[in-house]
Amino acid sequence: MKRRTMEQGLKQIICIGMVLIVLAPILLTLFAAFKTKADMVNTSPLLLPPMERITLSNFQKVIGDKYLLIGFKNTGIILAVSILFNVLFGTITAFILERFEFKLKKVIMSLFFLGMLIPSFVTEIARFKIINGIGLYNTLGAPIVIYVASDLMQLYIYRQFISTLPVSLDESALLDGCSYFGLFTRIIFPLLAPATATVVIIKAITIINDMYIPYLYMPKNKLRTLTTFLMNYANAQQGSWQKLAAGIIIIMLPTILIYIFFQKYILAGIAAGAVKE
Amino acid sequence: MNSLEKQKKRFIVCSLVVPMVLLIGFVVFPAFDLIRMSFTNWDGYSKTYDHIGFNNYTAMFRNRDLWLSLRNNGVYFFAHLIFIPIELMFAVLLTSRLRASKFYKTMVFMPYIINGVAISYAFSYFFSPINGAFDEILTVFHLESLIRNWLSDPKIVNFVLAFVSLWRFSGYHVILFMAALQSLPQDVQEAARVDGANAWQMFKYIQIPSIMLMVDFVLFDNIRGALQVFDIPYVMTSGGPGYASSTFTLYTIDTAFKYSNFGLASTMAVAIMVMIVVIYLVQNKIIHGILKGGRK
Repeated sequence: MKRRTMEQGLKQIICIGMVLIVLAPILLTLFAAFKTKADMVNTSPLLLPPMERITLSNFQKVIGDKYLLIGFKNTGIILAVSILFNVLFGTITAFILERFEFKLKKVIMSLFFLGMLIPSFVTEIARFKIINGIGLYNTLGAPIVIYVASDLMQLYIYRQFISTLPVSLDESALLDGCSYFGLFTRIIFPLLAPATATVVIIKAITIINDMYIPYLYMPKNKLRTLTTFLMNYANAQQGSWQKLAAGIIIIMLPTILIYIFFQKYILAGIAAGAVKE
Repeated sequence: MNSLEKQKKRFIVCSLVVPMVLLIGFVVFPAFDLIRMSFTNWDGYSKTYDHIGFNNYTAMFRNRDLWLSLRNNGVYFFAHLIFIPIELMFAVLLTSRLRASKFYKTMVFMPYIINGVAISYAFSYFFSPINGAFDEILTVFHLESLIRNWLSDPKIVNFVLAFVSLWRFSGYHVILFMAALQSLPQDVQEAARVDGANAWQMFKYIQIPSIMLMVDFVLFDNIRGALQVFDIPYVMTSGGPGYASSTFTLYTIDTAFKYSNFGLASTMAVAIMVMIVVIYLVQNKIIHGILKGGRK
């Protein structure tokens, strides 16, 4: 019995240590965000300032920045449109690849596989020319079309999910006179709802956090996303860590909130994607 | 029946045409275009360019800064490699009987979903030489003598950045290992137990093989990830001082978009693609090897 308690105690100590390491950079940034310029020097970076000197002015400054709202709006539009098409194309492609045999299936499968293998960052060197050529440079269309075309993780999740649905379902629907299109929209798509929840949430986090594509394709001020807003804000606040700290915290918040509320779906999808590979 | 076949064909074609156009136009074609561009001296905006044969390839192999960058990728790889046993230990710990294990599971994965740019700035503050928290922690423990310029000393900057990378991505691997541990079907374990398997046999014949597959995945995810490290050094040091903390991807991107040498950058991009494909092929061989060995 005593050994049990000792063992539990040791486990708890290790886990609490892990939690401290995870939270440290976030909490210390939060502390800085509550400090005045003077307290950044006068107080320890490991502590909050004294209660009476806690200031909200750093947060007010970030929230008052008109580009923050623009960033929220742009990120929201990119999110909504990209995810809509990701789900639409993802479900139907996965359904066809999982359920039908046809002539070019092997070729199509290997193209999608190739698409997943190709490293994304360096591909932009060639993609840049194409996006430019079709006039999407410096428009919200650039990130949208790239996310829809190149982020293919949903195929894993959907294919795995569809393989668990009985084929007899398709057969009886078709016997009852349902068209293939009807079979997909009225029977398969609604059954995929749990997988769709996972896809939507994981995609949302990936897109909100993505820095590189909006940074590369949308240098225009009006087209800032949450992440590129923070990059601009950081450049403007050179040296005033307390102001930048408030910006960091605000930009971190959306994905942390999504994670806390929808953790179940995220963890399910993360594991599914890897196991399948 | 014939009309049903026809209908099926139409359904497949109509549904796949847009996804396929997008995939070919924005993913497959650019990849092949990189190969073509790697033999030119295109600068990214001119209408004309010359075909210069293998000049970019010889230039790439002679580029010292690029080799230095590739070595830096190696630092990330080894850091994550050394961490695999620790990640496995946490996975075992969090799947065992543990109070508040749900809370710890939430915490261990949180870094992975946090905005990478935001956390890179947060770590820049953490390691900052002026009022930085890390120096303060060392001071509290009377270790002032260890204080360094964490982000501008070429000798240590890569280790600091690799630490940030560990902070961000280790939780992902812990979750994957946990999934592998939990995916062992209960009935198989039960059947083994009924058949008289002891704890060691269960561990050896049931748990180890299924974890090995995930260890293999994580190992190769590490190689791919290390090869493509970009945003942590980009935000925290821009690859500096000099090229001390540059990485292969960062160097490639800079060559294209900062120095307008799209030809040479394409060559480097081709090199990354070749490395990734080779790694994939090697991994497949190894997986096959393990599976065959397990069946004997």
